[in-house]
Amino acid sequence: MSSTINTNVALQNVLAAMEVERKKIASAQTKGYIFIATGIVLGIVVFFLGFPIIGIISGLLPLVYGGILLYQINDELQAYKNSYKHDVIGAALKFLDQSLTIQPNIGIEVSEFMYTQLFNTEPDRYNTEDLVSGSSGQTKFYFAEVHAEYKTVTQTKNGTRTEWHDIFKGIIFAADFNKDFNGITIVRPKDFGSSLGAWFSKHIYSFGNKDVVQLENPDFSKTFVTYGSDQVEARYILTPSMMERILSLNNQSKYSISLSFVQSRMYIAFPLIRNYFEAPVFKSLLNPDALNDDSNAIRFMYDIVQELDLNTRIWGKR
Amino acid sequence: MIIALIIIALLFIIGISFYNSLIGKKNQVTNAFSAIDVMLKKRFDLIPNLVEVVKQYTNYEQGTLTRIVELRAKATSGTLSDTEKAQLDSQLSSSVNGLMVNVENYPDLKANTNFINLQTTWTESEEQIAAARRTYNATVTEYNNAIMMFPGSIFAGMLNYQTVPVLETVADERKNISARDLFNN
Repeated sequence: MSSTINTNVALQNVLAAMEVERKKIASAQTKGYIFIATGIVLGIVVFFLGFPIIGIISGLLPLVYGGILLYQINDELQAYKNSYKHDVIGAALKFLDQSLTIQPNIGIEVSEFMYTQLFNTEPDRYNTEDLVSGSSGQTKFYFAEVHAEYKTVTQTKNGTRTEWHDIFKGIIFAADFNKDFNGITIVRPKDFGSSLGAWFSKHIYSFGNKDVVQLENPDFSKTFVTYGSDQVEARYILTPSMMERILSLNNQSKYSISLSFVQSRMYIAFPLIRNYFEAPVFKSLLNPDALNDDSNAIRFMYDIVQELDLNTRIWGKR
Repeated sequence: MIIALIIIALLFIIGISFYNSLIGKKNQVTNAFSAIDVMLKKRFDLIPNLVEVVKQYTNYEQGTLTRIVELRAKATSGTLSDTEKAQLDSQLSSSVNGLMVNVENYPDLKANTNFINLQTTWTESEEQIAAARRTYNATVTEYNNAIMMFPGSIFAGMLNYQTVPVLETVADERKNISARDLFNN
């Protein structure tokens, strides 16, 4: 996709216009940071040479000037970032499928985050953005970036110390499932190997052991643990071919995925480290690879519907 | 003396829990089969409607229809064992699936809304039965393991528990056949 989208004339024109803006922001930011650094170095050197007052003044002046430069460019930076999401990511989405749209300031609400049943820790700090929604064939889907954290407060000699821990950081994908069901089925990674997998598993919803669904695919059982409120329904959802498809999807993802099936909807949590759909400031927009990561992520999410065969609607649900 | 009593009591408690878990597993097998039974009943209920709709449009599938009606009557007669019922359902299933494929010769029937709905419900019930059969097999495997492995095997011998055969898996999961594909053939 990246090679074709890079030859899209309309998008290239948008990118060329934004590149001018990017250069302006990058140069202002570089200037700002240089002044701040100079201020700090100058202040420290003069201070230790034995002129504390002159040191503070001579350090403060460039520092404040640097700060003002950064402050002045901040509005433009925000506008540039928004325009990147609307115009560039928006165009990349339309290029893939006309139904796809992005809403940068909206995401998946915390109530829905808990509703997925994938996490049992209520977040103390929750950020979500970049809601992409649309449909692939008959299947409606949406996904958004989510960063959920909880805090721990420990007593120390000097008072209290608050530490933040991730519950989840990545993309949550939701799609209308092609079968009707009433219960809850949860598929969580069995692998505690990677550190990320470990914290991920730790905070995932856990049922009592009696609700474990023992599935017959050995690879699937080795990779995931399945819990369900209804044994037959869990198998109605996780057919032998669906298990194969989930395994293949999991193999394409860097970190183990988790899935839940709640009220005829499926949720997939993809743990990720980087933040997607953010405009580069210090890298050229005209670089052919600039859009690669973002467009690959979009393509990957879009292809899930095909990958899991959600458009086959022969089981009574239209 | 006290220690001996404690050990005896402990052994007694362990024994009871093994005994109970065996009974629990056996009941789960029965329960899992009743889930299949419910699904089968749902499916048998579809047949009269399906036969009626097909009858209106076709003159050449009488043989298949008669066979389907006979199989249904046999399946719902109430005199069959669990395994026989499951076998009969497989036969019924292949007959109806054969009929669904032959539908391509009858354009009017293919376009009938009632028929389309019945066909979708049929595929859905098939997938549900497949799920129920897999659940049953998982429960049976757990039960069989429990009565064949020590110390469950001791109690199984005392209770005269026998291993239960698993059901044959339904030949094909209908993954790629959609109603639309059938009609466009």
